Amino acid sequence: MKYRWVYALLALFVVASMVIAGCQPAPEATEAPAAQPTAEVVVPPAEPTAVPVVETPAGRNNYVEMKVESPDCEYGGEFKSIETVDEFTVKFTLCYPDADFPSKVAFSVFSIADKEYLDANTGDSVKMSEAPNGTGPYMLKEWVRGDRVIYEANPNYWGTAAAIPNLVFRWSEQSAQRLLELQSGQVDGIDNPAPEDFAAIEGDANLALYPRPALNIFYIGFNHNVAPFDDVKVRQAIAYAIDRQRIVDQYYPEGSQVAKVFVPPALKPGYSDAVDWYPYDPEMAKTLLAEAGQENLEITLSLRNVVRGYLPTPDKVAQEIQAQLAEVGITVNINVMESTAFIDATAAGTEGFYLLGWGADYPGATNFYDYHFAADTNLQFGDLYPDLVEEIRAAGKISDPAARQVHYDKVNQLLKDDVVMIPVAHGASATAFKASIGGAHASPLGNEVMGVLTSDSDQFVWMQSGEPATLWCIDETDGETLRACEQIFEALLSFKVGSTEVEPGLAESYVANDDATEWTFTLRQGVQFHDGALLDASDVVASYAAVWDAASPNHVGRTGNFEYFTAFFNKFLNATE
Amino acid sequence: MTSNVAILDVSNIKYTSPGREAVRRLFHHRSAILGMIILGFLLILAIFAKQIAPYDPIQLLRDVDRREPPCIHLLGCAADQPQHLFGIDGNSRDLLSRVIYGSRLSLQVGLSTVSFAILIGGVIGAIAGFVGGWLDDLLMRIMDVLMAFPSLLLAIAIVSFLGTGLINALLAIGIVSIPRFARLVRSTVISVKELEYVVAARSIGANQGRILFGHIIPNSLTPLIVQATLGIATAILDAAALSFLGLGAEPPRPEWGLMLGEERNSIFNAPHLVFFPGVAIMLTVLGFNLLGDGLRDALDPRLRGTAAG
Repeated sequence: MKYRWVYALLALFVVASMVIAGCQPAPEATEAPAAQPTAEVVVPPAEPTAVPVVETPAGRNNYVEMKVESPDCEYGGEFKSIETVDEFTVKFTLCYPDADFPSKVAFSVFSIADKEYLDANTGDSVKMSEAPNGTGPYMLKEWVRGDRVIYEANPNYWGTAAAIPNLVFRWSEQSAQRLLELQSGQVDGIDNPAPEDFAAIEGDANLALYPRPALNIFYIGFNHNVAPFDDVKVRQAIAYAIDRQRIVDQYYPEGSQVAKVFVPPALKPGYSDAVDWYPYDPEMAKTLLAEAGQENLEITLSLRNVVRGYLPTPDKVAQEIQAQLAEVGITVNINVMESTAFIDATAAGTEGFYLLGWGADYPGATNFYDYHFAADTNLQFGDLYPDLVEEIRAAGKISDPAARQVHYDKVNQLLKDDVVMIPVAHGASATAFKASIGGAHASPLGNEVMGVLTSDSDQFVWMQSGEPATLWCIDETDGETLRACEQIFEALLSFKVGSTEVEPGLAESYVANDDATEWTFTLRQGVQFHDGALLDASDVVASYAAVWDAASPNHVGRTGNFEYFTAFFNKFLNATE
Repeated sequence: MTSNVAILDVSNIKYTSPGREAVRRLFHHRSAILGMIILGFLLILAIFAKQIAPYDPIQLLRDVDRREPPCIHLLGCAADQPQHLFGIDGNSRDLLSRVIYGSRLSLQVGLSTVSFAILIGGVIGAIAGFVGGWLDDLLMRIMDVLMAFPSLLLAIAIVSFLGTGLINALLAIGIVSIPRFARLVRSTVISVKELEYVVAARSIGANQGRILFGHIIPNSLTPLIVQATLGIATAILDAAALSFLGLGAEPPRPEWGLMLGEERNSIFNAPHLVFFPGVAIMLTVLGFNLLGDGLRDALDPRLRGTAAG
């Protein structure tokens, strides 16, 4: 024991180093990725506090004149400039006409945040989710990660204040669990009950089912950069081998349709009557496979086992496809992935063959075609097909419906000829609520508005399929996340509850010039953000500039991809590439 | 004649081998008989699955709707409907055929994992017990570490590391069962190695290998047989649990745990989808447990000489 003091020192040293390591701030996981084009220009504030400090009393005015402008339209994006005209007027100048512009700005991804608050958080979605500062009928009280999001009603809401003071979002992947919790009264409303349970819900006097129209598409995607799907004959063979009618008959609820093209029939211009998809013909499939020299093909089918309106039973449909393809001699391995990992992998172009779908965000064909086949940040089908991009872009830039339809007919023919994907179904789905809940609805766009509900109780619990990724949705695409944001944030315009019709939101009114290239929005006066700041035109410019201008210090988001922005409005300003 | 019978009786008592005695005991053990009946039935199902099952277990049926409840003609199902004793599963396949084919997989799983575990665990235990000293300490501490983890959790960790799939799941379950057999073999080897016949073998100069494999191991098999039978039951349950979690067998393989896991959402609206695979797992595990208990009672030296129970 003569070295006792040595051991004591050693022990002390170990303990001390552990204490030091423990007290070290954790590495900033939310820092923008290195690939971020603006990484060099982002100057983090000296004290990166997540919550902006409220210094002035409620109703404070922080209007400044702002204008963000592109020197020309050569950069390839839709916006020419966004500017404040006066405190409550914003003007968007576009590089080319956009007939869907009101629908696009009504979409909740383009919600308006306070300029000061955006600056304080450098537009970082994760930081902004700590204390999201919106104008909506609900404010965030607490987000218990992995368990629930708790909201409380906004007492200063500009419109009709929410009738139910407390709102809770919960989630479960299991449709049986969602239904069980609804039946037992633990939750008051659920999203996407399983089709098999529709009858049970309708038969239960305490519950009510609200069917959601099929404004979506479920498709089987191919990435033509991944072998063997680089061979169009293989893709065609698989298209012939899939019995889409059987999938819809067996796995979809009533009201669903077999898809002929990528958009549902309600979207015109966009839907093409004249284009017929490949019929079910296993013999033809075998012939094509033989021609391609791929008789003993073994492929992997990726999916996420998350129930969405477009796909009520992902694992079952995957097995159905596996069995159907087995009949033509293709061995399919099913690869079930975690939801976010799956979405990121498909968008990054690493999955060759996968099940995915799309629910409309606004009722326009551009919402379907542009995002999937003409956005360079989206590599899910491999490198973009140039002829397809050309037609889609051309259709988006004109406002005459008949002329647009000509382009969309070509798009649909190209999608069929190249077998970019296999459109399978437009799936009907539903929400279910307790019968005692007033104002209950199912939105065709998936944006159920909890602020209009009424109840005997002072709390409403909603259960959906998945947890939101963040609560500031500028860089999100997942419907589960968007719905959680929509309770807090609002956009310039909005969609009528339970409908696809555009109505005034934060803007009371808007006017466009004759060729639909200049849009002027008049904001509502006296709208307060949750922290007390007043809404003004500079907030609108700042919110749009954060995503449009890649050089803006607020151009951070969550992944930094902003898929929706590039899908809706094309290129970023000051993009490095 | 009379004397003849008397002589036979005497010889019977005198020369009954312990093995035959154990078998006699086993066949008088009521729950063991029940276990053997269940397992015999399963074995027949597994071997003749192709002849017994009415349909191919992975073939989609075109003329029926998915999730249809059982249609049994004897119980009033319309005669023009095709008969499906267990109903139709979530992918419009015949559930009875899938359950029957599942027995094949479950027995294979149980036998292969336990054989693997006995082989590895037995060798480790025998060496540790026979050699002793630091090697014994080292091997047994490794086994203790393995034992310290909850077995299913460790299996999940191993599968996550190796990747999902039936073979990896089997490997994982085999690995987590090793320590149980290693410890068992070690303890019996230690108790046997000081017995007179081993000392005798040693004194006439038999080499170590011959003593270990020729004298010690054959005489320490009894508890191993019991443990193996019970181990099969655990292995089948673990494999079903892994498949239930989506880490074991991959669709469309007719594995009971997988069938349960896939249809866990249907428990209220199509209970037959989870009832039949669940019952199949329960019966199989019960069969092995009953047989294991019976074997223990029949082979346990403490019970020798007392009346068979």
